[in-house]
Amino acid sequence: MEFKKRQLDNGLVIIGELNKAAKSAAVGFFVRTGARDENGQINGVSHFLEHMLFKGTEKLSAFEVNEAFDSKGAKFNAYTGEENTVFFASVLPEYLTEISRLWSQLLRPALRDDDFSMEKNVIKQEIAMYKDQPEFDVMDRCRKLYFGEHPCGNSVLGTEESIDKLTAEQMRGYFQSRYAPNNIVLAAVGDFDWDQVCAVVEEVCGRWQRQDVTRALDDFGGSIENGRIAKANLAREHICLMSPGVSAQDDRRFAASLLDSIVGDSVGSRFFWELVDNAIAEEAVMHSGPMDGTGLFYSYIRCSRENVEKVLEIVKKVFSNLRADGITNDELRKAKNKLLSHLVIKNEVPSGRLFDLGLNWIYLKKYRKLSDDIEAIKQVSVADVNSLIGEFNLSDFTQFSIGPGEDGS
Amino acid sequence: MADKHILKNGMVILGEQMAEVGSATFEFMIPAGASRMEQGCCGACNVISDWIFRGAGDRDSRELSDAIDGLGLQRFSAVGSGYITIGSALEAGSLSEALDLYADIVREPMLKDEQFDAAKQLAVDNVMSLDDDPRQKVMIKLREQFYPSPLGRSTAGDVDELKALTAEKSRELIEENFNFSETIFSIAGKYEFDSVVKQVKELFENGRHKRPRPLQIVQREREYLHIHNDGAQVHIGLMTGTVKPTDEDYYNARVAVSILSGGMSGRLFTEVREKRGLCYAIGAGYHTLKDAAGIMCYAGTTPDKGQETVDVIIREFNKLSEGITDKELQRAKVGLKSSLVMQSESSGYLAGANGSDYHILGRVRSIEEIKSKVEQTSVDSVTDFLRRNKFDKFTAVTIGPESIKLEA
Repeated sequence: MEFKKRQLDNGLVIIGELNKAAKSAAVGFFVRTGARDENGQINGVSHFLEHMLFKGTEKLSAFEVNEAFDSKGAKFNAYTGEENTVFFASVLPEYLTEISRLWSQLLRPALRDDDFSMEKNVIKQEIAMYKDQPEFDVMDRCRKLYFGEHPCGNSVLGTEESIDKLTAEQMRGYFQSRYAPNNIVLAAVGDFDWDQVCAVVEEVCGRWQRQDVTRALDDFGGSIENGRIAKANLAREHICLMSPGVSAQDDRRFAASLLDSIVGDSVGSRFFWELVDNAIAEEAVMHSGPMDGTGLFYSYIRCSRENVEKVLEIVKKVFSNLRADGITNDELRKAKNKLLSHLVIKNEVPSGRLFDLGLNWIYLKKYRKLSDDIEAIKQVSVADVNSLIGEFNLSDFTQFSIGPGEDGS
Repeated sequence: MADKHILKNGMVILGEQMAEVGSATFEFMIPAGASRMEQGCCGACNVISDWIFRGAGDRDSRELSDAIDGLGLQRFSAVGSGYITIGSALEAGSLSEALDLYADIVREPMLKDEQFDAAKQLAVDNVMSLDDDPRQKVMIKLREQFYPSPLGRSTAGDVDELKALTAEKSRELIEENFNFSETIFSIAGKYEFDSVVKQVKELFENGRHKRPRPLQIVQREREYLHIHNDGAQVHIGLMTGTVKPTDEDYYNARVAVSILSGGMSGRLFTEVREKRGLCYAIGAGYHTLKDAAGIMCYAGTTPDKGQETVDVIIREFNKLSEGITDKELQRAKVGLKSSLVMQSESSGYLAGANGSDYHILGRVRSIEEIKSKVEQTSVDSVTDFLRRNKFDKFTAVTIGPESIKLEA
């Protein structure tokens, strides 16, 4: 495993982790922009723009783009979140340079008006699709309730109304202000030719203009509010809880991950034994969600309408017991073993390793070897986790639920 | 090339070594899937796959779970038409201890009465939750409608039948179906085959050995089912029959499906999403059981666009027999071959694919064999196959505010 780094004059960072033993290679452009960098007038633009990159450049049509990826057998996709937009592909080693060139070209899209109008339909279909997935919908609404006016509460997809109103001109403006080379990292992993990839990226991206890109980085404590909506077509209650957690830059993020496993792993956790094993809830999980300058703990619980009160009572007891008595040595040992094996297995494959490599650079501006993360997890003590529980009170949660009932009640 | 050993009782051990990994994935395919459950016990396999983890050997439920977590096992379990599959991904050093734990679960689950109700309740909840997940539900219903009974039977189960299920009946079903002579053990990653064989042999060779009960397979009429739901979208599932992996046209069929929906340049994505903006989610894939196979297609769209979406999809299926281009063929070939190589980097994928190959073909295909068969397909062979096997009969299921009409 060999780490490489180059920075172009315009600020674009290229990083690579070479592994000649891999059977494939993966590449991704990590753009530090997402829903939190939007305002109400352009809500949903980051995600819509992600779609528009696949519509091609001045020289490539949408079909030619898809054909170019497919003719190299690439597994490619993109995602948009609250704070990053990531474009990625996995290919056989011999194709990585070509695919890096293709992504580099696509990062300067044509943003044609007719493509924009057609893709608006697709975006609206995607919004409708997620409305039929209460598990997703409840998280989105809880995030909004938790963050209130803080930009991290912005919906990634936007709403049908915000998408309807959005113009191609507004999208071009947003693109100009956020897709600056100094706001982008290209990461590559696996078996590939580093010099060739650098040469191609420099040739295509070297002429992009550097510019100032800012982001509001205020931390936020959460609203501690409670909301619910009813939908007549639902059968189960879907509950989301959110409370403050550590940021992606905080060294305690490993302790936070271990805490989430102890409290809310899908099996063997406190939630599991108190809620799922006895079938009071069907699913109950908690995750740590470190973000840029802020962070969350969030839980998702699904149960029958009748069990809601009981579930919340138990959840509150789990949280208050943790605060009173802390965790045990045995819980920490199991959580470490689970987290370590998960980490090792995920990072064995280039398409899995790519995201840790790229996101570490986005958040920390430095390279972390897998063994650095493994060591950091091993070093976490019971006292570290208990001190985290003391500082971040899981009981101070914002709650949102979606469940059965007359529409809107 | 895969390792293989068959125990005296018939249990099959498959292995595939992977250089350069420190992990392994193993799985037990136990012939107790949804189609193997008696009439009136639809969903029992879900209760069983939970119940067997609630204490086994001399460990109670909690001790067993702690032992699994203590080894850091990434456990998984799945219920399919033929099998309950349980297994773990793990760091190779924990393999021997993990196999002992799983042997307890498969051979000596405690099956305590007091643990049964919770296992059953979770299975009932799981079926009820499907109402809130129309996209998953439509595909479960589609398989049920498409495959001959009981092969396509719902893997989630039936609420009434689950509610009527007793602990005693479930024990009988385990006794009847946890049959080691029909069980497949598959491992991939870092392991020593000889020591795995030795351990599995000691644990299972003298275990339960029964002649499996033959299934009474009944063909179904291809029909359209609509389930009303006032959601935002109509979720559309379409399925049409095609050749099984044992058929000499199998690779022609795989290439054809790839041309239809192998990537973003596939015909469905291009016609339905790119040109018309009808859907966000649209795709088709090959799906097979041992005794039947089909092409499954999903699309989700708002009710006002449901009919147009279905019409465009069916037109694209029909148009395939008019011919394919060489460019399409080449993209399909490179896509299929690349996927194969990339998937083979994952021990989880290999363990699963090898087990499934053995179940369906009675042998494990090597990556080289599959690549060469894909390479041998031509524009002529695929077109000829498509002309002989037109996709003109569809089973359809929709869930949403409005139904659709299927073209004759």
